[in-house]
Amino acid sequence: MNTRPTIVVGYDGSVDSTAALRWAARLSGTIGARLRIVHAVGLLEHAGLLPDHVTAHRETALQVAIGAGGDPGKIEWTVVDGDPCSAMLRMTVPPESADLVVVGSRGSDAHGGSLLGSTSLELAERSTIPVTIVPSGRDEEDPAPV
Amino acid sequence: MKLIVAGPTGTAQHDGGTFHPEQQSRIFSVMDGIRALSLEDEVIYPLTPSAELSDLARVHSTAYLTELEAFCAKGGGDIDPDTFARPDSWNAARRAAGAGLAAIASLEEHGEGVAFVPVRPPGHHAERDRAMGFCLLNNVAVAAASLTARGERVLIVDWDVHHGNGTQSIFWDDPDVLYVSTHQYPFFPGTGRATEVGGPKALGLTVNIPLPAGATGDVVRTAIDHVARPTIEEFSPDWVLVSCGFDAHQADPMGDLALSSGDFAELARMVGEFCPRPGRLALFLEGGYNQIALQISVTDTLGALLGLQTHPSPPTYGGPGMNEIRSSLSDRHRGLEQLHATMSSVKGEG
Repeated sequence: MNTRPTIVVGYDGSVDSTAALRWAARLSGTIGARLRIVHAVGLLEHAGLLPDHVTAHRETALQVAIGAGGDPGKIEWTVVDGDPCSAMLRMTVPPESADLVVVGSRGSDAHGGSLLGSTSLELAERSTIPVTIVPSGRDEEDPAPV
Repeated sequence: MKLIVAGPTGTAQHDGGTFHPEQQSRIFSVMDGIRALSLEDEVIYPLTPSAELSDLARVHSTAYLTELEAFCAKGGGDIDPDTFARPDSWNAARRAAGAGLAAIASLEEHGEGVAFVPVRPPGHHAERDRAMGFCLLNNVAVAAASLTARGERVLIVDWDVHHGNGTQSIFWDDPDVLYVSTHQYPFFPGTGRATEVGGPKALGLTVNIPLPAGATGDVVRTAIDHVARPTIEEFSPDWVLVSCGFDAHQADPMGDLALSSGDFAELARMVGEFCPRPGRLALFLEGGYNQIALQISVTDTLGALLGLQTHPSPPTYGGPGMNEIRSSLSDRHRGLEQLHATMSSVKGEG
């Protein structure tokens, strides 16, 4: 039985998700957890209509995670079809499992605290496991989540 | 036979930018496809008022509706990487949902014909309390719920290349709605496995037929005919609604299935056979992003239902997926047992 804790972190290449990834990688390195980086592929990305593609995201994400103290042997890159919130949630329920979900805070300010369009707030509402929302721009100076 | 066109609705103000494939020009292509049928007086264009909040609240939470309206009123923005809203999107979405209700009303008024609902934004990804996959309000679900509210049983066939996660989740535990979907899998939105069969009150009333990339029309027709048909006949719908996406076309940039316009024509004929009587079939535009494929597919699909000669592209054969369909038949036998128990329970309650 695998008793090693698993941290799931969402990554889409944005500044906010990069902050979340750094924080999650640092934590996983500290406690020896498995770090699962989840990248959700939506309609536009599948069709090649977004500027970045999944391979570029993967390389950047792995560099960021290792640079922040993640153990390369415990980092896993996972691509999931769907919108970001649903993709992350699917990684937390059987047959998958996780102990913590980490996301950036993107959207909550832009949408005035509205649930609509905010992956972080929606995850916090729907997740059955703990969720950490990492504020953008604070990860280097102050790793404390909100 | 009359063609009822409940629409077009949509507005250039609901615009995700020139790069975004879900754009107003799709509606122009659809209407060109209808005009190519040269129906003249055989087309009825009913008035299409916006859906009332009470209509929408049958399938969406009031909190979500309030939030979506307010979000648009504040200027809108990106809801997720795929889905956008603009100041006029709330009105556009309400008009799209209302068009489906108008289609039902017009079919009832005329007692015959086929209704087509050419609207945008599309709807089948929209869940009870969330927008996604270009969709804000679930148009086909709003129409279906208006029918089940008065005791009718509704079959929804969804042949869009993407699984209709929103429609599935809304009617997951509703014994009055049978949801049948053929879709590429694995693919966006990540749902639609064959093992997803419905909630405790509606076991067997969700029929998912996942298809591998490259699947051709013969695979989809076999799936409908052999996997879904027994369930549909057991369910015995009063109405048939189609989530009519044309992005399973081989030329569509958003999917990897390999259907032709002739396949859509064949599928339309098959689905038409599930109607209990004339005037009980309505097709709702969902996806379809290659403008030429969209236009000819609309022409050939509606032409097939109206019994017109439209010279569609030949149906396609030989793609992958037939083995998966055959192996899924055993799963469906189990699904039928579940369905039989569900239907017995429903009839017993009645």
